[in-house]
Formats: sequence, structure tokens, C-alpha cells
Amino acid sequence: MIALPLLGAIAVFAALRAVFERKTGRKLPYLNAMNFAIAGSLVLLLDHPLALVAAAAYFVGSTLESNAIASTYAGGILKDE
Amino acid sequence: MLNELIHILAAAIISWALFVTIDILFRLPEAGGVSGASAIAEDITKGGGSLHGGTMMGNIVCSPDASAGTLLAACGVYVAGIPGGLAAAVLVYIGNRICHDPGYAGTTGAVIATFVVYGFTLAGFAASDFIAGTVVAILAIQGISHVHASALLTRLSRWRS
Repeated sequence: MIALPLLGAIAVFAALRAVFERKTGRKLPYLNAMNFAIAGSLVLLLDHPLALVAAAAYFVGSTLESNAIASTYAGGILKDE
Repeated sequence: MLNELIHILAAAIISWALFVTIDILFRLPEAGGVSGASAIAEDITKGGGSLHGGTMMGNIVCSPDASAGTLLAACGVYVAGIPGGLAAAVLVYIGNRICHDPGYAGTTGAVIATFVVYGFTLAGFAASDFIAGTVVAILAIQGISHVHASALLTRLSRWRS
């Protein structure tokens, strides 16, 4: 099965791009690609029905983190008011 | 192995077309759903990218959109067939609400992707091909070149407006 090693390689590649990118706003899309790869590999690694819940929980959690980081980076709630 | 690689590549093209179409239909390139999405779009624009494509990329980062729906639906179909895909749609819906996403791109994407992925499993594809394919597709948008991806997304979003 080539899917799992491929996802691993994409996760490492995206993580490296995030590390070497200087602007926070451009780091986040790379991290998003990494999170996709990790959520996908969770399901392929865990041979259990609850793997879906684990992947969704990981993915939603990481999206919420990115959302929070991006909103803070944009100036936080104060800027919205 | 070569066969699986070709399946993954085909799945990547199918899921790319699927989630980009749904995201554009739900007007993701038009405005940032949260302030963070606009900030990401601004940075992508400053780096030589295009604004509307950058806004769509920011929105993809800040809430589970149709691409996340496609990934989790493929995971759901891999785990438990159509019921698994629909369970994934419910989880994406919860994710959208947690992230204060005003739209339903993610949930719609998950429901449509469930049937698309299941249909392709009947045609000889494995659901794991779509898990890997969706990740390759999102890498093409978010992880290779922000400049080129945002320019392409802006061009594609024009037909919607």
C-alpha cells in the first residue's frame, strides 16, 4: 500500500515548508496541508471504526487552532469591533 | 503498486475538481469568513499571489470546507461505507459550527463526496485512494505555490461572479 507512505511524505514536506516560511499568514496553509495528511494517515493506521472520530477530532481541533492563530494574527477581537 | 498510484492520481484530480467547485459555489473566494482568513489572504497577496484565491485559501485554513469534507467523507467510507461517510458529514457540520463558519460548504462537500467516493469504490477504486488523493489535491492548492494556486483559484472563481 503506497497511500500511507505517500501521506507521510506529504506531511513531512508540508511541515518543512511551514518551518522555512517566514510569514505567519503563509505558514498556515502549509500546516493545513500537513493536517490533512496526518488526519488521513490516522485512519489508515488505526484499523478501528473509531479511527474516523479520531481523525475528525484531530482535524477539527487543528482547524480551530489555525482559526485562533489566524484571528489573533489579524489583530484579535479588538479589530473586529 | 503502479495501479494504486494511477488510482490515487485519478482520485486527486476528481476530488480537486469536486471541492474547488463546491467551495466556489459557496462563494469562499469572495470574502474572508473570519478576520484570520483575510489576514492570510493579505499575506498571500503581498507574496505575489492573487486576492480572491488567497481569500479562498484563508477560508480553507480557518474552517473545515469542502476539501475537509471530502477527506473525512473518504475516511468515513473507508471505515464504514456510506453510513461512515454520512457520519463524517455530521462531524464536519459540528466542526463548522465550532469554527463559527456561516456557510455549509464543508457539510455539503462531505455528503456529495460520500456518494462520489462510494460510487468509485464500486468501479474498482479503494476508499484509501481517495484519502491519499484528497491530500495530494489539497497539497496542490495549499502546499506547493501560493502564488500560482491563488491565481488559478481567482481565475476559476470569476465564472461564479
